[in-house]
Amino acid sequence: MNLGARSMSTVRSDDEAFEDLFTAEYARVVGIANRVLADSHEAEDVAQEVFIDFHRLHSATAQYAPAWLHRAAAHASLNRLRGARRRQKREVAQALEEGERTLDPQKQLEVDEDRRHVRAALSRLAPKPAAALAMRASGLSYAEVAQALGVGIGQVGTLLRRAEAALRKEVTRGTSN
Amino acid sequence: MAHLTDGTLRRMVDDPDARAGDDAAHLEGCTECRGRFEGISDDAHSVASLLAVPEAPVEVARAFDRLRSTPASRQRSVLRLPLMRPSSRPVVLAFAAVIAGVALVAGVVARDYSLNYTPNTVTTVPVTVADMQALSQLSNYGDVTWTRQPQLQAATSASDAEALAGMTAPTVSNLPSTISTNITYGAMTQAEAVFTFSAAKAQAAAAAQGKALPALPAGMDGATLTIKVGPAIGEIYGDLQKPAAGSDISQMTLPQLVVVKSSAPSATSTQVTVKQIEDYVLAQPGITPELKAALNAIGDPSTTLLIPIPVQYATSKDVTVQGVKGVALGDNTGVGAGVIWVKNGVVYAVAGSIKQDDAITIANNLK
Repeated sequence: MNLGARSMSTVRSDDEAFEDLFTAEYARVVGIANRVLADSHEAEDVAQEVFIDFHRLHSATAQYAPAWLHRAAAHASLNRLRGARRRQKREVAQALEEGERTLDPQKQLEVDEDRRHVRAALSRLAPKPAAALAMRASGLSYAEVAQALGVGIGQVGTLLRRAEAALRKEVTRGTSN
Repeated sequence: MAHLTDGTLRRMVDDPDARAGDDAAHLEGCTECRGRFEGISDDAHSVASLLAVPEAPVEVARAFDRLRSTPASRQRSVLRLPLMRPSSRPVVLAFAAVIAGVALVAGVVARDYSLNYTPNTVTTVPVTVADMQALSQLSNYGDVTWTRQPQLQAATSASDAEALAGMTAPTVSNLPSTISTNITYGAMTQAEAVFTFSAAKAQAAAAAQGKALPALPAGMDGATLTIKVGPAIGEIYGDLQKPAAGSDISQMTLPQLVVVKSSAPSATSTQVTVKQIEDYVLAQPGITPELKAALNAIGDPSTTLLIPIPVQYATSKDVTVQGVKGVALGDNTGVGAGVIWVKNGVVYAVAGSIKQDDAITIANNLK
């Protein structure tokens, strides 16, 4: 949608501006949440929350709108992940049973285990590195991540490195147990 | 040239802009940095594959319909303080917003309309973020106009701030050595806001939430609530940090120390009593049972300044400060603490990334 042309030809109402913002950013907000939660339904729920929250508090024409949404999507989904830790423990136990029934049990088990470990580790990271990683992994550019977190582009590299080093260590430790 | 930092090396993995100039030349010729680059690159690719997920199917139109059909009362929100709007405004403005929010709560619950409401003690009301947001929805039930806009100005000295606010600036007489003596002053002139109830607006707001408007008391339509805030002076010790876009409370960096002095807010009403306005506001759709309970729990609000505290962020306790009852927030971890008290019609607040004990000591020695 060409926002520029549209705003020149007509005076947009707040509602229209919000719908345009939703159309432009929904996929990316879901993408960030999905990357964190690895669950598309939950990611959609997070996106709903984030947009409702934005709509309540901010104007859709605000320049910071996309940055705000990206950041909120990362934090909201990470918050869910933290809240879900206990539930995940239960799921791990379940998955162990299911894993035994798959065709290549050993390999499947290892992949699942790694994924769980990495998300459990993600939930334990400091919010900022975790958010930077979630946004970058879902396809946002360095500039977009920097804008969403209110940091310089140079710092995004530092945050990513911190997050990845911690996650790698955690997964290595987890699988060697 | 010094070796490249981990952050720079990490960017070189997948940011084309980073692989240019001196840094790229250095990497080319430096065995040590190349070695580190390999490790960092390996971690990045490994984590990327671990985080790989099937793409979420995206149906924008369906999602937008779902959003529109969500009743406001069922809307959940992520944890975020609505007062901390992303903007380039200095922190002092955020504090002014807090004071204004406090005045709003105080105004809503002040019971005696015939007298100027002036609190002389403080108490906290635990609120959820949804409650705070419900308060900001007051504009759905009428018109809020600033009859006197709050003028906020940064000042370079205490005397400038005093001249702007027309009151003396507070002085911290026992500043802990760990706190910067780099002080930023802010001054706010007295501001006055008038809230005029509109039956039509309230009706529309209730309908939008799929609920009926509670029966309108006689005189409520067009009734006004006038709230005066300030003047106030704020002093921020240490480096100023702007709240970044989309700030939430866990991301906020509290200044080392903030001291605020403000005339106590006052509230008056026309046509109906403030008590009636209070009752009517509480009866509106969207006001949560939690906030109702909290507001109703206040014994005599006409003399009490209410401080809304998000339930999940702070603990509070009554303390005696400068011989009067005050409220201390936060704890002794040093993450954040504050003290608020009212003396002789003036509200004082001392807060920062300090321990509660330190906040109380500073408060007791504030001149």
